[in-house]
Amino acid sequence: MRILFILLGIISAILGLALSILPFGKIALFPIIGSLIFCIIAFKLSQKERLNTTVIKITFLITIIGLAFNIYNSLKPNEIIVEQNQIENDLQAEEEDLEELEDIDIDIE
Amino acid sequence: MRQLVFLFLLITWFFVNSQNNSIGSYEKLNFTASYNMSGLLTDLAQVTMETKEVKTSKSTLLHLKCKARTYSKWDNFFKIDDTYESYVNPNTLTPYLYKREINEGGHYKFMKYSFNHKSKTVESQMRKRRSDGTFWDVNKSYSFGNSTNDIVTTIYKIRNLDLKSMSKSSSRPFSILFDNEGQKITIKLLGEESIETKIGIKNCYKIAIAINNSDLLKGTNTNLLWLTADKNKIPVYAKFKVAVGNGELRINSATGLKN
Repeated sequence: MRILFILLGIISAILGLALSILPFGKIALFPIIGSLIFCIIAFKLSQKERLNTTVIKITFLITIIGLAFNIYNSLKPNEIIVEQNQIENDLQAEEEDLEELEDIDIDIE
Repeated sequence: MRQLVFLFLLITWFFVNSQNNSIGSYEKLNFTASYNMSGLLTDLAQVTMETKEVKTSKSTLLHLKCKARTYSKWDNFFKIDDTYESYVNPNTLTPYLYKREINEGGHYKFMKYSFNHKSKTVESQMRKRRSDGTFWDVNKSYSFGNSTNDIVTTIYKIRNLDLKSMSKSSSRPFSILFDNEGQKITIKLLGEESIETKIGIKNCYKIAIAINNSDLLKGTNTNLLWLTADKNKIPVYAKFKVAVGNGELRINSATGLKN
């Protein structure tokens, strides 16, 4: 049982860390919370049976790193990167459009 | 005489309804597009709707421009950079030139329609990028009906509808030329609702949008648009359901409004 919870904890922690690094936002919180729960259960079981808890502590650390990444990403504002050449392309495209509009029959009174 | 009065009223109604009363010349609306992932909304892209007055040697036109850009955090995974634009008559919103340029995760497509309202024809140009990076063009000519518009103009024309006079559950048809195909869409007024937005609590018209004979939009009354129940009728919130999931569009800011 203890091994099962340790394995579930490791899988959830890795998944949580991966989703936190990727821009998936709050969805990463599911495996992180899962990992925390599995780690606590595995830790209690290990303490009860007086077994080594090093793996659980490392898993817990990975979970905390994932959580930290998640909080950091959620605090970052949503940004759009507009490149200088894109602004120039837009202006050029508009000039071309205006030239094209000169050839179109526009009937405005 | 009665027929003359009726005709006069009909012409007046058409004139009033076809006039642009809602769209300003330098309007800018900013939205956040979110996608539903396992029940959690994740902000995906910024959508802007801008208008600008442009002058040619013969006339002054209104440039309607809609842009969708993924937030920079998504750019390394799936970058979207789409532009939809149309040059229209500022009074009647009649389109003259429409352009659509989409860049979606490496997929590129360009569409251009030049409308000739005298001959009722559209010159269409489509450009696609092959996997080897080279481009291929398809040029076609179509004839179109009186009420056919491009998609950008249609969005603005929906805003220009006299929703106040529409009764609940009544609907209006629109004809769109999209991807070289004529599409019929129906908008249905579902009623009025007050909703909280980033620009305040707004009393809105709740509208359902459906594309006839197409499975692009899923469900009945599931693709919804909330337009402010004022003279500007700005879209403040939208919910959409497509084949790959569902999402939302929420307004962040609105500047340069007409009224």
